Amino acid sequence: MDSNPQRQKFIIPIGPQHPALKEPGHFEFTIDGEIVTYATARLGYVHRGIEKGCEDRNWIQSLYLLERICGICSHVHATAYVLGVETLAGVTVPPRAQAIRVLVAELERIHSHLLWLGVAAHEAGFDTLFMYSWRDRETVMDLLESLCGNRVNYSANVLGGVKCDVTQELSDSIRKGLDYLEERTHYYLKVVTTDETFLGRTRGVGSLTPEQVDLLGTVGPTARASGLLRDVRIDSPYAAYPEYPVQIVIDHGGDLLARFVVRLKELFESYRVIRQILETLPAGDLTVRVPRKIPEGETVSRVEAPRGELFYYIKSNGSDKPDRIKVRTPSICNWASVIVTAIGHKLADMPMILAGIDPCFSCSDRSVHIIRNTDSTSETWTWQQLRQYGIQYYQR
Amino acid sequence: MKNTIFPLIALLFFPGGAFVLLSGLAYEWVDRKLVARLQNRIGPRWFQPLADTIKSLAKEEVIPDGVHPTLFIALPIIALAAALTAALYVPMAGLAPSFSFRGDLIVTLYLLSMMTLCTGLAGANTLDRFSLVGATRTLTQLFSYEAPFLLALLGPAIVAGSWQISDITAYAREHWWLILVTQPISLVVAMIGLMGKLELPPFDAPEAETEIVSGALTEYSGRGLALFHIGKNAELVIGLTLVSAFFLGGLANPIEFLVKTLALLVVIAVLQSLFARLRIDQTVGLWWRYGAILVLVQFLILVVLKGMGIL
Amino acid sequence: MKLGAMLGNVLTSLFRKPATQKYPFEKLQAPERLRGRLVWDPSKCTGCQLCVKDCPSNAVELIVLDKAAKRFVLRYDIDRCTYCGQCVENCRFKCLEMSSEDWELASIQKQPFTVYYGHDSDVEFLLARSAESDNIAPFGD
Repeated sequence: MDSNPQRQKFIIPIGPQHPALKEPGHFEFTIDGEIVTYATARLGYVHRGIEKGCEDRNWIQSLYLLERICGICSHVHATAYVLGVETLAGVTVPPRAQAIRVLVAELERIHSHLLWLGVAAHEAGFDTLFMYSWRDRETVMDLLESLCGNRVNYSANVLGGVKCDVTQELSDSIRKGLDYLEERTHYYLKVVTTDETFLGRTRGVGSLTPEQVDLLGTVGPTARASGLLRDVRIDSPYAAYPEYPVQIVIDHGGDLLARFVVRLKELFESYRVIRQILETLPAGDLTVRVPRKIPEGETVSRVEAPRGELFYYIKSNGSDKPDRIKVRTPSICNWASVIVTAIGHKLADMPMILAGIDPCFSCSDRSVHIIRNTDSTSETWTWQQLRQYGIQYYQR
Repeated sequence: MKNTIFPLIALLFFPGGAFVLLSGLAYEWVDRKLVARLQNRIGPRWFQPLADTIKSLAKEEVIPDGVHPTLFIALPIIALAAALTAALYVPMAGLAPSFSFRGDLIVTLYLLSMMTLCTGLAGANTLDRFSLVGATRTLTQLFSYEAPFLLALLGPAIVAGSWQISDITAYAREHWWLILVTQPISLVVAMIGLMGKLELPPFDAPEAETEIVSGALTEYSGRGLALFHIGKNAELVIGLTLVSAFFLGGLANPIEFLVKTLALLVVIAVLQSLFARLRIDQTVGLWWRYGAILVLVQFLILVVLKGMGIL
Repeated sequence: MKLGAMLGNVLTSLFRKPATQKYPFEKLQAPERLRGRLVWDPSKCTGCQLCVKDCPSNAVELIVLDKAAKRFVLRYDIDRCTYCGQCVENCRFKCLEMSSEDWELASIQKQPFTVYYGHDSDVEFLLARSAESDNIAPFGD
């Protein structure tokens, strides 16, 4: 945003500690009465140096580190990474493993969208919907636990394939779980689109025109809610998506209600894809051997996380440790849309607009850009400068 | 001697003072437990509100910078005192009100509003942004629901021909079915007005947890917060008593008191869990559009019925 | 225009059992694939240390007492482990597995978090050796 001088209006800080935010981030809304006139965002509270940490660990250890960038979308991070590394190593993963990867990814999408539904309802003050959707989310968490061994951070991927197989018993329990969830999703779609108090909070709020979405570079369901046909699973299918294609789900409303509708309808797509996979799962091995030292090269891999397009750049220099891994998560692209739509809305809409893009702060913190308050210059610090500053700070 | 003991007992133990506070805690528990069960959860155990109050009273009270210290400490006490005083004029526990004089309906309602005014003042007293926004919203909500609520409670007063609570209650006891049949709109408006007064969801914009942390009471901790909290509970009991006494046929004895107020509380709990939070401008729009019109329609019906000689 | 779209669900919940699981009085059966605490069978181990090499958090360490006689002690740090299961994947002799019953691993002291696996005699030997000479700590790092 352009650097406006601080105006002496009323500034409401939201974060880094605030009941509206599940993770720390700092937003300052300048309000006039109840209308927001200016907004800024500041992230970086959850920067953990994961990209740097990958350079010290070998390829297998980095997989588990990258998986823990985010708790809700951990499997897609792991999938993007292993797809990239397998491209560099030049191995072909057996089709059964690719299908199981897609299965877990779609189950994760279900879990993420149900979580988001609850959180967004909580921001609107609709605690009943929050409790009910999280209760139903337990079904998919239990399914993931019985399939992969853990409720979050599933660790289903290994370099060259997957770790967990799908047995007939598991397949039956997944189908049963999906039947229950599908019925509940129909109910939530009905509630979200017909309840008058909820519509009062979401209809017409946070509208984005398709031109604005294109200009701001928004991805994921936020973009699809304004009518943009942007979905990596369809634009450039990866893993087993060529065999199990997904129909795109869009809505032309552009407001918060459209985002709710898009995410809930995507759930139906996920149910359909999972059922298809369970029926026609190809037989075969689960893994293929990947060498410990990955040949030199650089590659790019894109997958569709529940929040949008996840982009990995992986560079290898022939050794057993990665040279550089750059992660570009979807939440980073969506912040600009929050700042733009915030202006002109009321303060009470702010948490809803923030929740509408499904923010994942842990995913968003990559490099740290420090802007000094005393002068208007800004620079990017190197590791040595940061360390020096830290030593001086604590000596005081 | 006798003249000073009875008022003292009434003030401190029953029906004011300890009785109101303890029944306030009990009603808060019923409300929280009901809402939890409606949301498919377990809910707190019976002593939870009591434990919360004792814990809050025991904690240190932090007085932030920039406030007026006397006002900061005095406001919760004034709010609680007003709520407790209002208890003396309503038929608590089904027995006749301890003190009664002509026009005490207005005094009771005014005392109940004192609580909200004190909350608003407490919010305006600080430098904290959240409290200021919360105070603005509290006072806005006060202005918007107070008129329809008062008018709704005036419905039975008009047909009873008196502004004294004990008279209205006696009339309601005799003609309870008449009031219910001719003034259902007033009952609905009064019940929703009670929810607005107590800042229960969906009218909890003044203390919207996800937007402005805790609204006007953000800076309060320890004793001040505990006093505001039990004041609000007392207001819950008194409000329920008033509405059920006027519209559900008077409160003749403690059993009726329990049954009627709990029935109203069940309805309020169901309404609490059904709706998303309304924005403050939607609340004001709702009240000044539908609330006021409905009450005026009700008055029209009353006038017509009175003219026809039925009432 | 519908007010209270969740009324049906909300009212029926009043008469149904709450969805809350009353842990610790009620414990659900954990699925068999749950990745709980690591368990090591010393009789099959050959000391290849593939598990140690790929652990993302240095939670496993193989202390060699006698390579020829296959006397090893495995030091396992419960608090460092991320329960990823890579060591189980790597082991070619199926010595390692993750227990699905032992998953309540919280503790208020530091000591239960370091576990030594091995034949009893080997573990005693290791602990005795570290106790008598201060500079050889039982920890490898």
